Amino acid sequence: MGEIVSKDLNKNIETLKTIFKDCDDISYRFIEIGSNHKTQASLVFHDGLIDKHLISEYAIQILLTTSDDEGFDLTSFKSNLLDTLAKEAIAIPGVEEEEDIDKIVDAVLSGETALLVDRADKGLILSSRGWATRGIGEPQTETVVRGPRDGFSETLKINATLVRRRIRDPKLKVKNMQIGRRSKTDISLMYIEDIVDEKLLGEVKKRLDDIDIDAIIDSSMLEHLIEDNYLSPFPQIENTERPDTVAASLYEGRVAILVDNTPFALIVPATIGTVLQSSEDYYSRWTITTIIRLLRIIAGFLATLSPALYIAITSFHPGLIPTRLTYYVAASRINVPFPAVVEAFLMEITIELLRESGTRISGPIGTTIGIVGGLIIGQAAVEAGIVSPLMIIIVAITTIAAFALPSYELASGLRVCRFIFMILAAILGLYGVMLGIIIMSTHMIRLNSFGIPFLSPYTGLGLEEGDLKDTLVKAPLQKLQLRPTFTFPKNKRRMKKR
Amino acid sequence: MKRNKISNIQIKALIITSIVGVGVLSLPSDVALILDNDGWIAIVLSGLITIPFIVMIDRIFKMYPNKNFFQIGREVLSPILFDLFLIIISVYVILLLAYTTRTFAEVIKAYLLETTPTEIIIITMLFAVSYIARGKLEDIARMALIIYPIIIGFIIFLLVINLPNMDYTHIYPIFDIKFKAMPKATIAALFSYIGYEFIILALPYVEDNKQTLSYSLRGMFFIIGIYLIIFFITLSQYGIDQLKREIWPSIAVIKEVDLPGYFLENLDGIIMAAWVMVVFGTLGPFLYSSGLILSNLLKTKTHSFFIPYLLPIIYIIGLLPENMVQADEILGNMVNYFAIVSIMAIPAIIFIVGYIKKRRQKV
Repeated sequence: MGEIVSKDLNKNIETLKTIFKDCDDISYRFIEIGSNHKTQASLVFHDGLIDKHLISEYAIQILLTTSDDEGFDLTSFKSNLLDTLAKEAIAIPGVEEEEDIDKIVDAVLSGETALLVDRADKGLILSSRGWATRGIGEPQTETVVRGPRDGFSETLKINATLVRRRIRDPKLKVKNMQIGRRSKTDISLMYIEDIVDEKLLGEVKKRLDDIDIDAIIDSSMLEHLIEDNYLSPFPQIENTERPDTVAASLYEGRVAILVDNTPFALIVPATIGTVLQSSEDYYSRWTITTIIRLLRIIAGFLATLSPALYIAITSFHPGLIPTRLTYYVAASRINVPFPAVVEAFLMEITIELLRESGTRISGPIGTTIGIVGGLIIGQAAVEAGIVSPLMIIIVAITTIAAFALPSYELASGLRVCRFIFMILAAILGLYGVMLGIIIMSTHMIRLNSFGIPFLSPYTGLGLEEGDLKDTLVKAPLQKLQLRPTFTFPKNKRRMKKR
Repeated sequence: MKRNKISNIQIKALIITSIVGVGVLSLPSDVALILDNDGWIAIVLSGLITIPFIVMIDRIFKMYPNKNFFQIGREVLSPILFDLFLIIISVYVILLLAYTTRTFAEVIKAYLLETTPTEIIIITMLFAVSYIARGKLEDIARMALIIYPIIIGFIIFLLVINLPNMDYTHIYPIFDIKFKAMPKATIAALFSYIGYEFIILALPYVEDNKQTLSYSLRGMFFIIGIYLIIFFITLSQYGIDQLKREIWPSIAVIKEVDLPGYFLENLDGIIMAAWVMVVFGTLGPFLYSSGLILSNLLKTKTHSFFIPYLLPIIYIIGLLPENMVQADEILGNMVNYFAIVSIMAIPAIIFIVGYIKKRRQKV
């Protein structure tokens, strides 16, 4: 516990000014209040973080007008001075007394206004947060054709509200905490009390408490700090920009972590089933969703394996594909001076360069990059005989398949694996690819997300209970009467039996 | 399913994946060499022989609940005798691993990588498998459930592509039984059923052990079914005389397939790819158990410590035979003899002694 507010206003202001030395963004506003302006007071706030209109209209103005009120002689009050002010003068919803200078400093830095009054041994904290926000926009990464279009923004309060609007249940708990010794980033832990598994919740809380770092800039940093295996290329925590996804996950008995200053919420635990889901799966009809889910699994394999299989087959086992296709492949490669592996790496690196430059630069220049890269380089490379047209097709399929995966993080993980598979295929052919699959599947089998096997339900957890109905395929809503098993929900049934 | 437990369906998958491995490749010709067309009888018989042992293993854990194999063994037998048994079992597991990897490497060499040295194939496979073997028992059980559908797919695939042009007359004459050769054929087929003993390590961690026995027996019957299907596919595709000449008929049969339409022309690649995963499903549990047995023998905390040291031993033993024929004759036979002791005699002894001790306690 640091210093305590003293009765002398000037001394308090001095203390604050020493703490905020060279912090020119902190403002002090002195006023004289009470009848005949007998009492000195000061408001301390941060210029950009407060709602100025609120403070001037409902705090300063009211405090000043009370001075005309004959009966409001502040000098006569003693210990109940602040209490009276809060109750009778200030017209702001959130008012709190605070005596610890450090806490006052924290409050000022997070956008509250501190009101210090002479002869009071406490300060008054007026909740006045109101900075410029981006507002609720459409999510950039998870767009849907049908479904809600609101997405998270950078302000935690707004984000938590968006989730609350979908769960009007007092059992939805929102626990606030701060992480980061310097950044003091606000974190909200959200869960539905009578669904969530206590063990999971305890583990999440424990891991969050164990974090000791000076700053959390984005939720991804938090994700890296609390995930089970930080060396893995695969995500073990789901992230989303969509409040409807968060709400649906909470109903499944999962825990959401909202972080201030980022539009991405974290959801734990994550499994291969959940990262291959998109929120639109639940808004479309079950038939098309089932097909799309199977398609995503195929896309995952294509994105990982297709260049490796191309290398393995063209350079090791041309006999494995139909004879006519072999002739076609050989004919298309006849002018290519490189072995298949060099060709594949050349094209994969080109496409990665294109993707990277396209991601960083959007808008009209991005389109140019797409045209120059995709059309001109592809066409010219084939005509110059550097790569075969088949290779271009393979690379294109690989890239498109990677984009078909709903989870960007999973797709990036598979992207890394793709290059390893290519090297293995170049050394040991199809056998090398199989070795890679063994190692990759072993890694995924051993991967956990907060104690939940990442490959659930395919590896057993929830397999017999019917979790496949909402992972491999999507059963009609009427058939999904139970919550998924992998979260060990306390309340299992979500729909009345019929 | 509870946390950190093994479910019954995982036990079933474990039995299937750890049994189906390299044995299935040569099984049809092995039994056909001795019994001709009636090789299937030997397949069924040796499959049925394993069932009493599975029941015994299950009973051992019912008699001594909440204890694992090593604790029960030390309690029932004297610790010294049990350690001796453990040595025998570990020799058996290492020989089995060596034989399996060697056969695996020869098959890969024959069908996928003609010019790559056997040594490279063995080393790379052992390294890849050691990753799962260093994991926990739950990881192995989860792996089994991933391999299980691959095996089912493999069999369905074999059936579907072979059905159109099988010659069913090759199956006859049926029931022309040579009774004298039956025991020899049954023992030859027994090698293909090695692997069910892995449940001896997994059973104590099953969440609901009432159902376990029925699940494990279902797994066993599933395997008998698989083997019968493969035997009849190869027999009807080749005819008995050619079947006897094939070394690995179960894979070679794919070459006989001639389907209309160009895309399904050469299917070795798909079959080999699936089979690599199947062998992974066999090697993983065994490498894990070899590490676990050694760590119990030498009383170390973790089993994963031994696995890196086991790899060179397996590698050297696997490379000792000069060719596949020698490997079959020397390693294969040794594995068979050790298997009879380790997976039949030892569980039976523990069961009988334990049963008698429990009886006495009650009286």
